[in-house]
Amino acid sequence: MRIVIAMIRHSILALIFLIGLTTVGLAAPTPADETARDVSIGVLAFRGGEDAEYAWGPTLRHLSATLPQYRFRLIPLGPEKLYDAVRDRQIDFLISNPGQYVEQEAAHGIARIATVAFEGGPLPSEAIGSTVFVRKDRMDLRQWSDLKGKRLIAVSPDLFGGFRIAWREFAEHGIDPLADMASLHFSGFPVKQLFDAVARGDADVGIARGCALEELAAKGSIDPSLFTVIAGHPMTGWGCVVSSRLYPDWPLAKLAHTSNTLARDVALALLSMPPGDHGQNWTIPVDYQSVHDLFRALKIGPYSHLRQGHLTETLRDYAPWLTLIAFGLVWGFVHYVRVRFLLKRRTEELNLAHSLAWRQRERMEHAARLSLMGEMASSLAHEISQPLAAIVNYAHGCQRRLEAASSMADMTASSTADMAVSAGKILAQAERASAIVHRMRDFVRKRPPAPFILDVGEVIDKTLDFFIPLIEKKRVSVHADLPPSLPPVCADRIQLEEVLLNLLQNAVEAVDGVPYGNVRIFANTDGKNVRIGVADNGTGLSGLTTEQMFEAFHTGKPQGLGLGLSLCRSIVEAHGGRIWAEAGVNGGMVMTFTLPIAEGESV
Amino acid sequence: MTDADTPIIYVVDDDDAMRDSLAFLIGSVGYACSCHPSAEDFLARHHPGRPGCLVADIRMPGMSGLDLQRALNERGTTLSIIFVTGHGDIPMAVRALRAGAIDFLEKPFNDQALLDRIGEAVRASREATLRQNRHAEIAQRLDGLTPRERAVLERVAGGKPNKVIAAELSISQKTVEVHRHNVMSKMGVRSAAELARLIAIKSP
Repeated sequence: MRIVIAMIRHSILALIFLIGLTTVGLAAPTPADETARDVSIGVLAFRGGEDAEYAWGPTLRHLSATLPQYRFRLIPLGPEKLYDAVRDRQIDFLISNPGQYVEQEAAHGIARIATVAFEGGPLPSEAIGSTVFVRKDRMDLRQWSDLKGKRLIAVSPDLFGGFRIAWREFAEHGIDPLADMASLHFSGFPVKQLFDAVARGDADVGIARGCALEELAAKGSIDPSLFTVIAGHPMTGWGCVVSSRLYPDWPLAKLAHTSNTLARDVALALLSMPPGDHGQNWTIPVDYQSVHDLFRALKIGPYSHLRQGHLTETLRDYAPWLTLIAFGLVWGFVHYVRVRFLLKRRTEELNLAHSLAWRQRERMEHAARLSLMGEMASSLAHEISQPLAAIVNYAHGCQRRLEAASSMADMTASSTADMAVSAGKILAQAERASAIVHRMRDFVRKRPPAPFILDVGEVIDKTLDFFIPLIEKKRVSVHADLPPSLPPVCADRIQLEEVLLNLLQNAVEAVDGVPYGNVRIFANTDGKNVRIGVADNGTGLSGLTTEQMFEAFHTGKPQGLGLGLSLCRSIVEAHGGRIWAEAGVNGGMVMTFTLPIAEGESV
Repeated sequence: MTDADTPIIYVVDDDDAMRDSLAFLIGSVGYACSCHPSAEDFLARHHPGRPGCLVADIRMPGMSGLDLQRALNERGTTLSIIFVTGHGDIPMAVRALRAGAIDFLEKPFNDQALLDRIGEAVRASREATLRQNRHAEIAQRLDGLTPRERAVLERVAGGKPNKVIAAELSISQKTVEVHRHNVMSKMGVRSAAELARLIAIKSP
């Protein structure tokens, strides 16, 4: 549940964020209208407006002169501002290094329309490289593999000519400059700091734009003899020594929203531009595939999704959300496991308690049945001794007749017939005794209840068949008052008999000593339940309240465990019925219980 | 031996099998048996005067064995009573024996013990029957006497001479002799001593 809430919250935040973006987009300046003749040219400038003006001023002036219908403006942009400007369509054209160009091409669909060229300079497609330098006296640093684990210094991680180009070379030699160096320091501009740091020994390895070394040396800012270039090779054109392969020069690109007419006008104007003070002019756009290759090799920029570190970065970028989600997931999982565990444990506990209660009840029932049997023991003993005594008599009778016959060496047909008949009678009596024993054993045996659709009247009849012989000598009249038919109930036969026997036994004991002991068992129905009662004209409550009567171990009898009625109640209630006691109209007690009518069944 | 002298064993038990098996056992030694399912049934069908033995269950629905014993004693029975019971009930046994029962046997019992008791009971009953018959005969003879003859009989049995009797009754000695002769004749005795013994039997 909490996860869902977290997700909803997340979604709402994301929605707010999107709305915010849209609002910013709408609030951003609308693209310059051609008719307004305002054309903004964004320029990547790491070092601010002056540099940009210095580098691109001639181009701007040429464009303004060639295309007077437009008012061109240079907008110097740092790397971050450049992103925003392109995204927010604040500019119509962008002049940037190949790295930024490729990234914006991928991100915002900008398209190059011209590439910078220098008269007498390198090919525009091979104009930019990086110089990786060390102190010349560091004899231990001579090739790429020597640089691993050393202290590295560069101007900025965003510079294409410089760190990024060198990065690829490091990578191709198995070195990750972000991870494998003792240290990595970005000094920022001016570039001279790099050479100073390496010369001082503050850093072991420096990365500079190609030609930076030569330019600074020409100005006398540094002593080039102090340094050596790793894997140095000269560029064509300017002859600068570089460590890397070479990449195309800066492009001028139109943004996605810039009209093709304007783009064509600008492109034609650029191509017609004569070389200026620095020999700078423009040529048709070159292929920037090599830049793409670099980005792909390093898995950065548009190819950052290829980067293995991508996940780490994503994780870092979305750390709060991911943490929240992870926490939510972990919490959810823990909660789930805990709930499952608790559920399992509770279920087990419940099952255990249930089975304990069930066993407890079973034991109690068993004890109660034994107790009831105990109370009826003398009656049962008499009941069993009757057939046994009869068997003994028949057997002795046969024995005597046989002895008499053998002594007389003669046996009459009639005495033979007598003995055959008696043998049959012996069998019948043995069966009679055995039936009583079975009946008792069934009654006291532990067994699971087995509810069946029963006819209460029939169960009462059977119970009386068993019970009446047991109390025949007691001068108690027991009679049943049953309607011709009763609706069926669903009950366990033995348990129902047990309830009936308990109530009958109690009633018979209650009338013991009463001159005309009378026990009446009756049954009727109210349409929902079958109501079964046992009424007596005995001595009444024997000091117990009607409620106490049904509690275990409360007994009004000198012998007996007091389990009978509590057991009756537990059985009746387990069958969905109710049992209660009340004073009879003519004295004595009436014990009544109900059993719900079995629905949709017939006996 | 006439039919009336043959002892008869009455079996009174509410349990059919018990009654039947007792009759079978008792029959095995040649006794005649009469079976009754209840005390009431027995009392209704029983003809007193014949020697015999009553084998009765002490606990029966309706009239119990002890009730039956009481009723028979009230009627001056000559039947001996043996109680059998499934319950060893000592107070009940004591009551039964005090009221004249021959024995009190617990089921299942040793057949020899039962048959021995029945033998004893039959002998006792036969004696009782003879005694009772004799009593009845004496009483019958006494009933045949006139009041004057009864008065003479009492004095003769008391050993008084005729002269004393004549004086006490204020009659002549001759008249006393006539009465005395009639008394001797009616009572079936030949001497005053015999007469005295007869009277002694009659009133123990």
